[in-house]
Amino acid sequence: MISQTIYQKSDHKWLAFGQDPNKPERLIDTNQIVITSGDAAIVLDPGGIEIFPPMLAALTNEIPIENVKHLFMSHQDPDIGSSLPLWRQVCNEDVNIHLSWLWTSFVAHFDAEANITPIPDEGMSVQLSPNVTLQFIPAHYMHSSGNFSVYDPSAKILWSGDIGAALMPTHQPGDFFVDDFNGHIQYMEGFHRRWLGSKRARDAWISTVGKLSIDIITPQHGLFFKGEDVQRFLDWLSHLDIGSGLDSMGGNYGED
Amino acid sequence: MDTELSTVAAKPGAADRTPLGRIQADTNQLFLKCLFSFNSFGNLGELSENMRILSLNAELAAGRAGNQGNAVRALTQYTRELVSRLNAVSRSMLSLKSETYNQSASALRVLHQLRLLNRALEEMGKRKSQFGKVALDKTTRSRADKLSFLLENIQGMTRNANRLAVEADQVSEVVTQAGSIATNIAIEASSAGDHEAEFDQVAKTMRGYVAQLHQMLDLSSGPIRDAEAIGSSVQALTRQSLGKTPSLLTSPNV
Repeated sequence: MISQTIYQKSDHKWLAFGQDPNKPERLIDTNQIVITSGDAAIVLDPGGIEIFPPMLAALTNEIPIENVKHLFMSHQDPDIGSSLPLWRQVCNEDVNIHLSWLWTSFVAHFDAEANITPIPDEGMSVQLSPNVTLQFIPAHYMHSSGNFSVYDPSAKILWSGDIGAALMPTHQPGDFFVDDFNGHIQYMEGFHRRWLGSKRARDAWISTVGKLSIDIITPQHGLFFKGEDVQRFLDWLSHLDIGSGLDSMGGNYGED
Repeated sequence: MDTELSTVAAKPGAADRTPLGRIQADTNQLFLKCLFSFNSFGNLGELSENMRILSLNAELAAGRAGNQGNAVRALTQYTRELVSRLNAVSRSMLSLKSETYNQSASALRVLHQLRLLNRALEEMGKRKSQFGKVALDKTTRSRADKLSFLLENIQGMTRNANRLAVEADQVSEVVTQAGSIATNIAIEASSAGDHEAEFDQVAKTMRGYVAQLHQMLDLSSGPIRDAEAIGSSVQALTRQSLGKTPSLLTSPNV
């Protein structure tokens, strides 16, 4: 599994993990993020159970496991956190697990013994260290009905989960960033048309994150957006016709 | 994926000869044998109810036969005792079956987690992860805990196979006694005059139930024996694995 530092200022770091060359092809590729500050770290969307081994090895190449104080799950999907029972085996017993209140009893099917801190619908803040506070921003219905993005105001980076996700070709470039936005659209268009279903939710999320100062957006699949690509992505998303699954359901039910 | 790893994640359809692969295959076999044994007795409850109704009908017939039905009436009382025993066996088997399902599900889940923990140890070993010591220790400890938990579940499944054998012995005793009752009713029928045909029918029906119970015992005896044997061997294999390092666990030669 590849790891790359995508932001560093003093001991405040964003580490990206993904693009595992040994990952079985049938598993969708996922990005995992570790934010560190001082001796505290949070893992954002730690991943599916099958990628736990390379992820743990890659993470412990960068930081001690005992530094992981928080695990964050943007929503309930198996590629987000079915590794939870194994992370709990190696992390400190008092590791904080954050997940929308909507999904706590559902994720218990992955891990019935996990003590999850439910995130309320309006979101919450978590102080990672004296210098770094993270904001869990509502992203409901994008695509999950209980969904959160994570914003780090100090680093000006937004973890967007499945928003901005791209289904990349098997052979990836080995870099985490989009270098040709227009060329990248082909990899994310189908995903967004199908996975996102609510234009109201899309507009609400864009309105919320549009007010933030963002240098980098990091989705859970595919490549990250930085600099001007951040606004390009938000503009592109705001005009996208979503909810393509409705085409197979017949009829014309109008806008939501 | 390198050669060593590919032995851990065996291709679908290929026999996985690693100790974990063998434990998994044997655990599957153990569960299948238990399942087959339980299913052999799947109609026990229904048969028991039919026997109860037969005993009630036989008692009514005995009443109609007056003094000629006295012995048959007593035999129906014995039959109802047998029905009670069969009902108790049926309830106990249902509980054993449910326990075995749970143990099997837990065992398979833990086996999956063990494979991943082994892979994590290998990956950390290969990377010589800079900060890996605590993670290595915790993963090794977790692996040992999970192997112990796996062993508990396999022991539970084996214990249930043994208990099933005990329940089958109970059914066997009922078969012997029900056979005697059928014979005695047939003897009483021969001197029951007008009621001979009616008592004969009761005896014949009872023999039919005895035959069905025999069939259940015959069907289950092989799988129960197999389950006990597989259970013992997979327990031994799991105990061996508890004492081995993860790298040995992923070697097909161990």
